[in-house]
Formats: sequence, C-alpha cells, structure tokens
Amino acid sequence: MSYEFAPYPFEARHHPARLPALRDGLEERRHPVVVVGGGPVGYTTALGLASHGVPVVLIEADDSVCFGSRAICISRRSLEIADRLGALPGFLDIGLPWTGGRSFYRDTEVLHFTMPQDENQKLPPMVNLAQYSIEQILLDKAETQPDLIDIRWQTRVTGIEARDDGVRLALSTPDGDYALQADWVVAADGGRSFLRDALGLKLEGTSYEGRYVIVDILLDSDRPTERLAYFDPACNPGSTVLVHKQPGNVWRIDYQLRDGEDPDDAIKPENVMPRVESLLAMMGEKAPWKPIWSGIYKANALTLRSYRHGRVLFAGDAAHLVPIFGVRGANSGIDDADNLAWKLAFVVKGLASNALLDSYSAERVAAARENLSYGTKSTEFMAPPSFAFELMRTAVLGLAKKHPSLSSLINPRQTSAITYAASPLNAAPERSAEFGAGPVPGAVLPECPLTLVDASGTREGHVTDLLGPHFTALYFSADGSLPADLTQLERALGARQVPFKLALLTRRRAEVAPQAWDHTGRVFPLYDALPGTLYLVRPDGHVLGRWRRADAAEALAAIDRALQPQPKRG
Amino acid sequence: MTDTELDAVYTRLCKTMTQLGEPQAALFLARFALLAIDRIGDADTAQRLVDAAAEDLAAPAAHA
Repeated sequence: MSYEFAPYPFEARHHPARLPALRDGLEERRHPVVVVGGGPVGYTTALGLASHGVPVVLIEADDSVCFGSRAICISRRSLEIADRLGALPGFLDIGLPWTGGRSFYRDTEVLHFTMPQDENQKLPPMVNLAQYSIEQILLDKAETQPDLIDIRWQTRVTGIEARDDGVRLALSTPDGDYALQADWVVAADGGRSFLRDALGLKLEGTSYEGRYVIVDILLDSDRPTERLAYFDPACNPGSTVLVHKQPGNVWRIDYQLRDGEDPDDAIKPENVMPRVESLLAMMGEKAPWKPIWSGIYKANALTLRSYRHGRVLFAGDAAHLVPIFGVRGANSGIDDADNLAWKLAFVVKGLASNALLDSYSAERVAAARENLSYGTKSTEFMAPPSFAFELMRTAVLGLAKKHPSLSSLINPRQTSAITYAASPLNAAPERSAEFGAGPVPGAVLPECPLTLVDASGTREGHVTDLLGPHFTALYFSADGSLPADLTQLERALGARQVPFKLALLTRRRAEVAPQAWDHTGRVFPLYDALPGTLYLVRPDGHVLGRWRRADAAEALAAIDRALQPQPKRG
Repeated sequence: MTDTELDAVYTRLCKTMTQLGEPQAALFLARFALLAIDRIGDADTAQRLVDAAAEDLAAPAAHA
C-alpha cells in the first residue's frame, strides 16, 4: 500500500553560494567574528553581535533553512531574546501560543498542568512553530542588516586551524574552495558539529536507549493548542504518545518504540500510518489527514566540559545535547547565543578582556547541567531506562488521579529561565541579601506592565522593554528625581564607550522624560524596591547586582569587575 | 516536600531498585513499605494507605 504525502505549508527559498574577494585562495579581509551554522543558534548569535554593531560572517552548509520536524516550541525567555533583537513580531504572527497540557493514562486524565502565566506578562509562556519558520524569521531580520551580517550559503567547513591569536577556517563551496581568517569563531554547527570533532572534543553524559518516532501530519482540527501526552493508550498499548499542534494545520506526533522494535522498520510508512490512524480515531479526529514527514529520535543528555576553547566558542547542540522532553534544545541554544553575543561584542570592541568569555562558558555549562537534570528526569519518565523506572511509572500513573499530589511526577517540567546563581559576574551578594524579594544577581527580570513616557509620547510597555544592547540601571524613584552620582556614572561610562542606559522607574508619574511609571503599583513590591533602589542589569537581561540604596561607586565596580578592561596598548 | 524533592526521592528509589535488579525488586519494595509504615507511626493512616495502594489493582496490570 502506498501513502500520499503532503508538503509542508512552507516553501524554502534557495540561496546561491558566493565567493568573497580572494588572494591566493585566502579571503583578503580578516573577520572579527565568524559564526558557523545557520540554525536558530547561529542566527541569534549573529543578530546579537549586529545589535552591538559588530560585523559577522555566517557560514551555512545548506542552501536554505532547515527541512523536517525539529524544534517546535519557543519559550517565553526565547521570545524575550527575539524581542530585544527586533524579531518578535514574526514569532507572534506565526506561532500558536499555549499555556498548558494534559496527560492521560489509558483513558483517564491524570495531569492538567499550566505554565506560569498572569496579567503581568508581556509574552505567552510558549509558542509553537516549526523550526523552518523560526529560522526564516531570524533570517529575514538578518537580511535587513547586510552591512553587518554576511551570510554565506552552501559553504562547508572542511578544516580548522585554531591558534592563540586567531582561527583559520578551510571552506568548500560548489563555486570553489577558500580559506578565511577570524579573530573569533562561534561553533553553532549542531549536534554533529564538525568543529567539535575537528578540535578533538567529546560530549560527556548519558545516551538513552529508548527511541521515539516523530511524525508530522496535515490535519484540519480546531482542537486547542496544548501539550497532549498519552501513556499506554488504547491506540498504541504499552507506548507513550505526544501530540503538539503547529501552525498551518500541521500536527506533530511523537511515539515511543516498543522494546525490541527495529528503528529502520518502525519508520516505514506501513508501520507508521496505522498507528497515526488509530491515535486520531482515539482522539476523535475525523477529518482526512496526510503524512508530511517522519523521523526517529533518541534521547541524549550530553555536554562539553567547557564551551570556550581558545578562540572557538561552542553554542547550542554543538555544545550540549539535551532530551526533547521539556523543550530545552533550541531554547537553551538561543539562551547560549544571547549570553555569548554581548560578551563577544564587548571583547571585539576592546571594552572587556577575553576573560569575560570564560564567564560565558561557566554560566552556560551550569545552565546545561540544570537543563540536563530536568531533561533527564523527563526522559526517565517518558522513556523508562530500566524495569524499575517503568514499574514506578506504572504506579504513579495508576495512583495520580486519586492522589493528585503525585501528579507532579508526571509534569514534563517545561523549560523556564535559568538563574546564574554561581556566576563569577554576580556582584555585591551582601547588598542583594538585604532584599526580601525580587530577582537575585544572575536571575532574569520578572515581567510587569509599565507606562513608558518619553519625548515622543506615552505608551504601554513592560519592564523588559527597558532593556537593550547595553547595561541598564533601573533606578526606582518616588518623584522622578535622579541622584547626581548616578548621572555622573552614566557620563563616566559614556566617556569610556561602555554601552549603558539609566532607566528611571517612578512610583508617581513625574514631570520628567524619559520615565517608566509603575501605574499598577506592582513593580515596586515585585522588586522589593524603595525609592532609591537600584538594579543593575546586563545586556542579556540578567541581574548583575542590586542595591536597596543606590551606590554608584559599587555599581561602577560591578561593571569594571565584569569587564576587567585591559589597559589600552601603545 | 517540594516537587523537586519528590522528584529526587523518586529517582533515588528507581535507581536503587535498578541496581538491586529485578529479582530483588519486590523484596526491596516490601522492606521500603515496612520502614515507611514504621515511620508513619499511625495504624489508621497505614491501613488506609494499604487499601489505597491495592485499589484498582483487581484487574491484571498492563505492565508485563
């Protein structure tokens, strides 16, 4: 029997290869930064560097954005990052927002979970969209900055020579081969990273045996967007099935292979289609459907020990492989890119010492370990690695309906923003300890509405709207007045070209502009702020330090400690 | 007990049982049950938990 496949509701543009100006096979121009890999991580890194005015060359082996079913869930934290890069509208226009999900054991609902969502939020906790759309949105944004982002399609890295003072890459294109030189290389070349292998680096951790088949289908259904998990369902006894709605009537189905099932056989249409058919029948979906794509997935929980190797920096799947359960793959990679971009930009611009890049590795390796611990917990539930995990899961699923406190064990622990609690950059812990609430150093900013007033007028906004490609000092004021030593700090940093912005948060609306007015009265308590409180925030939105009574000298010391600027030579 | 702490205990139990091996799993769980009964220290509560654990198990479990 043959099956008629439908195409994705998306047509990828194909891009030609292009050779730069060469001399003896070497590109004439040397580049400050080359990013290898045109996926969500590579694009986010490139857009982040460009936001700081740093030019970047992006190398991509294929001639288009990706094909098939890969990342499908983008978290609130990733949307915040996209917002800062000016790429948010595409995500919200295309993506399907959602806030929770349901898990079933046989025919009983045993968990209904929701992700944090309240009236303070600017963005949904999660949106679903296909990775080709994610890449297209970021690519569209990158193509608006051709003077800063130079994308080289159909260009494959075939060799790397990493030295103390730079990196030389050997590249191959259909139009010919060449080499280029860069001060820094970002390896965002994916799970099978060539650069990782070429430098002899190994991922460490656990590979799981349990395998999942991934199937995308085209189905017209008005079922709401939520994560559906079926354990031991009547349609596929003994298996676990996940269902996610995507834009354009695409539905993503993941189901676990039974023990002993051969993956090559399992992926054949004659084995896949009946299972999809019986799942849809069980769900009560009666509309006609067509398969689009299928693939196979095996969970890994692996990371490099360090993400900085001299002048080569690893990000995303090239640096770590986290299980898909909990949607931490693309989201953690986008977070890597956001952390790396400002640090690399500051180093390239001579505003920080190379040591700042070690904090990229320290923070993001710690984040990967946290992501891996949650991902491992989810994987051990979704694909039990031993009889004991399977037996205990059967017990949890059977008890959860009558004993709801056990249902937290079924919760997929969806990704959430990570706090860099042990970051070497975190400043003034003893000052932070004086607060009773609010984000600690290393945490991201809790969201809250604000009224933004500037020379052009008044508009509704949120706390994260105050951020940008600069350090941000959030100064909480009763009446709109700013202490002189803070305006001096702004001038002093400005004179050193350190990107810095002072943002005034007012409890009562004052006759000053710009200001961010706490019109709901919720921001001050959320940050445990008094008039005179200062939060110093990094360009990636993580808190650097906080003072209940602003101290400009300590704030300057915190920035200097983070940057450790090198004395100007000559 | 927080959700994270419950996760950690659950994982510890699963890993310990995995190390002991399937032939000893029932004995391990029996010993754990006895220690838990002893620690609960209240006969009525323990009796109710015995009943709750047996509930819905009349039919053979799908798990082979």
